[in-house]
Amino acid sequence: MRRAALASLALLLGAAMPAVAQSPATLRAAINADIRTNDPGVNRDGNTDAVMMHVLEGLVGLTEDGDVGPLLAERVAVSEDGRSYTFTLREGIRFHNGAELTSADVAWTWRRFLDPATKWRCQSEFGGKGLTRIEAVETPDPRTVVFRIEKPTALFLSVMARPDCGGSGILHRDSVGPDGKWKGPIATGPFRFGEWKRGEFVELERFAGYRPLPGARDGYIGGKRAEVERVRFVVVPDPSAMKAALLSGSLDVVTDVAVDDIAELKRRGDIAIDLAPTMGVNAILMQTRDPVLQDVRVRRAVAHAIDAAELTTAITQGTARPNPSIVPVPSSYHGAAHDRRIAADPALARKLLAEAGYRGQPVKILANKRYGSMYDAAVLAQAMLQQVGMAAEIEVLEWATQLDRYLKGDYQMMSFSYSARLDPALNYEMMSGPKATQPRKIWDNPDALKLLDEAMVVADRKRRGAIFDRLHEMFLADVPMLVLYNGVDIAASGKRVKGYKGWAAGQPRFWGVTLQ
Amino acid sequence: MLRYIIRRLLMTVPTALLVAIAVFVLLRLVPGDPAQLMLGDTATEETLAELRRQLGLDQPIPLQFLYWLGNVLRGDLGRSITNDLPVLPLIVDRFRVSATIVVAAVVLASIIAVPAGMLAAWRQNSPGDLVIVAGATLMLSIPSFWLGLLMLLLFGVKLGWLPVVGYVSFAEDPGRALAYIVLPIATLTLIEIGVVTRMARAATIEVLRLEYITHARAKGVPEGRVLWRHALPNAFAPTWTVIGLILGNLLGGIAVVETVFTLPGLGRLLVDGIFARDYPVVQGCLLFTAIMYVLVNLLVDLLYPVFDPRVTAE
Repeated sequence: MRRAALASLALLLGAAMPAVAQSPATLRAAINADIRTNDPGVNRDGNTDAVMMHVLEGLVGLTEDGDVGPLLAERVAVSEDGRSYTFTLREGIRFHNGAELTSADVAWTWRRFLDPATKWRCQSEFGGKGLTRIEAVETPDPRTVVFRIEKPTALFLSVMARPDCGGSGILHRDSVGPDGKWKGPIATGPFRFGEWKRGEFVELERFAGYRPLPGARDGYIGGKRAEVERVRFVVVPDPSAMKAALLSGSLDVVTDVAVDDIAELKRRGDIAIDLAPTMGVNAILMQTRDPVLQDVRVRRAVAHAIDAAELTTAITQGTARPNPSIVPVPSSYHGAAHDRRIAADPALARKLLAEAGYRGQPVKILANKRYGSMYDAAVLAQAMLQQVGMAAEIEVLEWATQLDRYLKGDYQMMSFSYSARLDPALNYEMMSGPKATQPRKIWDNPDALKLLDEAMVVADRKRRGAIFDRLHEMFLADVPMLVLYNGVDIAASGKRVKGYKGWAAGQPRFWGVTLQ
Repeated sequence: MLRYIIRRLLMTVPTALLVAIAVFVLLRLVPGDPAQLMLGDTATEETLAELRRQLGLDQPIPLQFLYWLGNVLRGDLGRSITNDLPVLPLIVDRFRVSATIVVAAVVLASIIAVPAGMLAAWRQNSPGDLVIVAGATLMLSIPSFWLGLLMLLLFGVKLGWLPVVGYVSFAEDPGRALAYIVLPIATLTLIEIGVVTRMARAATIEVLRLEYITHARAKGVPEGRVLWRHALPNAFAPTWTVIGLILGNLLGGIAVVETVFTLPGLGRLLVDGIFARDYPVVQGCLLFTAIMYVLVNLLVDLLYPVFDPRVTAE
């Protein structure tokens, strides 16, 4: 009997071994939820972008610091009036099915993107409701594509490269069936889309026909050399299970490590930690229409009461640096002007509150526990506000409810995180606008909006930089929110992984990564 | 008997309808916009409005309900908002995973807990009884996620015997499938042992106090036979009800265990659906769960006479 039991156990463990064995060719990385679709930019979230940006490539792509550079295009020429963009395609680029990339494929892809029936997320940006309207996509020869747009915009290429637009990845027409229905991505990226078991994993396979750009890895462009045969993104919703899987060797890379785990993982010696500042913005929002907070002196008092540097250090354990500006630290536009801040000064905060006639009215900070850093920021802000005599309270909501309240502008204060936007104009645009028609907007200042409109059109970097500097000054004067810090992407990888490096977009990249 | 079954099955219709209305209304009362969640904070007013139109969320709520109910009556639970897949096959697919774990765990828990409970009752107030009751109480008190994580750390990380993440179906590879579900089944079994043991113990104590047991003992019937032949059939009936309730309850979702062990089960589908305000998925899951619950309880009731002949299905 005992022998039979032992034999059964051995059989079971034997059966388990292939599952836990490490394949030298497959890199296993965790994602906390399944991807939504593999149709670029149609129905997406952060995980979808993370996976799909290994498969897709657009005419241009993002660089390490959030600028834009050519990717499938060899060069881009912009006409004097800013209404015509001419892309010259790189030679010898092949799709995952072996077909060569031509200008006709680019035109076909863009026609599909611009067709409302595709439900491409960025259709409104290029279809006339948002950024501009693409009037024509012309193909004078197989290697040249000309985009003609209705009105000039400085953000045409930036938006084209956005990961949430699927990087405007160029597709082969066999990606859809004869009925126009989506089949699967046949693109040009360093990995091709492999097996997808919903709720379990997505596997990408190295594309042998990929031609990388020369040079080193640079954001989503540069030398994208796929060194591993396969990348398997395993869906692991629970952070503790993710950590256990990393420690047991069932996962090679975890890109969403909690800051509290860094010290423990470092101590082990067999786990490498990678820290990369991202362009996400963490902030305390203030509703400028609230009876208490509509007085700018009260908002300034809040800013003086909250020691952003101390709060940042406490929450991120020193992994992030405080940033008072909407322009993220990794951005090439973040200069000295953006380090100007409202200094922590509790005495001045008390004085301002007295001047504003604040009489202890309660001020509620909304937060959630799905994103721990938002909750932590609310707790610390509450304590600091109470120290200067403000009756700060915290209301914890479920994330979807908080997002709903954000959208409606239905809050006094809110601890909030914005996802990465890679051009400062997009950051300012996210927060600025008329509250009467767009209640989610934080900053309603007509002069700032005029400047922002200018930044959307002007292409000259120096002029744009000056506009962003001025906007920061105005932002500090109005204090519609207190920017705390930019997020940090914390990734942990097992000992057999070499070459993993996070970057400002906060998304993983598995080209240039080897397994030993 | 057949009439009884048909009557009970017909009774599921108003239950399902009530569940459908309650779920639909409650879900719409919860703040949170699926379109906003899908598009995230980068959405513009135009894209939000367009997505709401595409998802039919711009229609009046009573119209949305009637449209959904009409489809449900035709066996169509709609399509998921998040991934555009038909909801019914999605639920059935996920239910297979959950059902495998749950049925195995409940059967194992019953095999262990019923004899343990009877033993404790037979030796009431003895050290053995104390150990069994303490063990059952401990199992009842341990949160499933914590036990699951301990199991993961011990068998997955420390000993490296079993895989920590992933899932393989039996159709794909039975051996590997077994390796992946051992820990979730063990976790659920341990958790459920507590309830069943306590129920079996209480029911057996009750029965052992009855006169016919005293009579049997007075006649000199051996203790083993008294327990097995006379006490068990009567003590098992109430325990069977509890087992049925547990089964129905667990089949509705073991989201915590599925999340810890990364199993693509029904519970995780439901929780993900709630977070994403994926109305069709949440409505479908809850409706399916309610029907499963009713059916499991019907099955329990039908089997009741097998254990207690005094009870008839009618």
